[in-house]
Amino acid sequence: MVARVLEGLDVWKVYGKTVAVAGVTIGINKGETKVIIGPSGSGKSTLLRCLGLLERPTKGRILFEGTDVYASKLDLSKLRAKIGFVFQDPSLFRHLTALDNVKLGLRRVLGLSEDEARRKALEALRLVRMEEWADHYPAQLSGGQQQRVGIARAIAMDPDIIIFDEPTASLDIELKWEVIEVMRDLAKRGTTMLVATHELHFAREVADEIIFMDHGKIVEVAPPEEFFKRPKTERARRFMARLLGGVTGW
Amino acid sequence: MTPLEQFLFLLKAVPVTLGISLASFALGFAIGIPIALLRIYGGSPLSLLADAYEKLFRSVPVLVVMFFMYFGLGSVIHIFKDPYVTSILSLGLVSAANQSQIFRSAIGSVGKTQMMAAISLGLTKGGAVRYVILPQAFIVAIPGLGSEIALLIKDSSYSFLIGVLELMKHASILRAATRSAVLPYIGSAIIYVALTFPFANYMDKWGSRKRRELGL
Repeated sequence: MVARVLEGLDVWKVYGKTVAVAGVTIGINKGETKVIIGPSGSGKSTLLRCLGLLERPTKGRILFEGTDVYASKLDLSKLRAKIGFVFQDPSLFRHLTALDNVKLGLRRVLGLSEDEARRKALEALRLVRMEEWADHYPAQLSGGQQQRVGIARAIAMDPDIIIFDEPTASLDIELKWEVIEVMRDLAKRGTTMLVATHELHFAREVADEIIFMDHGKIVEVAPPEEFFKRPKTERARRFMARLLGGVTGW
Repeated sequence: MTPLEQFLFLLKAVPVTLGISLASFALGFAIGIPIALLRIYGGSPLSLLADAYEKLFRSVPVLVVMFFMYFGLGSVIHIFKDPYVTSILSLGLVSAANQSQIFRSAIGSVGKTQMMAAISLGLTKGGAVRYVILPQAFIVAIPGLGSEIALLIKDSSYSFLIGVLELMKHASILRAATRSAVLPYIGSAIIYVALTFPFANYMDKWGSRKRRELGL
């Protein structure tokens, strides 16, 4: 019996006249890594924010571990603490050191003692290889280092799933790798992950399933090998051709 | 009276001028932050109320508020008869509107991603404001708050009109006694500069450096 961690059922998100997400159904099981790819503006970020309980869908249901989030009287904050979220923009708290960024949730949400929070935060920083930067402020770190601390901040909370919203999109090429490596480690350790990204190598290597989105809808769902070798839809083919700059056959 | 004695007489008013200014700054701070928060996060009725407060007290001269309290409310409610209380209250209420605006733009510059990142950790909105938004907004606001203190030090001179023994009052006593306006007003100008400059200048430098260091 597979355990569903997070599920979106017929999720819609409409801003004024713009339909960002148009009836998406998606589910992530424990230990799975699912990768969403698709052009900018295809609704990936909005869908992820809905699933991360950061935005309320206009229509549709979000189920966290089988419970309908908005139908129940559950405390949203408590649920969000179980869903890690890594943003595209550097979102570290700028007035806090790397260590304090990771500690904040442990102290103020989980209520751990100072010592315990410090121990867990350092452990998380070690996992992303940022331990020796613990006392630095975000402004003193590179974009890639900031993103790694952002990942540490998410994993320190021991979430049931981590959602990544294009974590490398705003990074220079040479900084992307250090972040991707950390994400690859996490996936291999069996972390439940839902990742929106344009990094096709990463997707191919770690995804259990590729979800291709366009115009707010899921266009194609397939295992990576199949998706990259023989995309079923013309739209997915064109998207990949564009992303790979015309390189085919890999 | 020698010029030195005259200057010393002016200096005696400094604790009162500073006391009124800093007390009204503290009052404005205590009221200004909640008003800024209500305007941003309050939802429509509360936000409108906070907006109305800001608009009203930013448009009415301090002197009007002060006279209304002292001569108007003072004739009915005993506490407003006290010129010190009335000065601090009126300066503080007006300053709250200014400080609310300073904090609002500071909170705006902290950005929405920070709020979302805080919420995603499981913090409540209140927790996010307390641990993430306000500490950063406060740093951004430091230069503005420095100018606000300087403004209050100058505006505290209005309270001489309702009988507070502050610097302007001492200057006018001195003018009457010496039948000269030169030393009283040049002397008090020097003292006002000496009082306001360190606040405005130091807080501006400190705040700007902090902002640069943290990339705010």
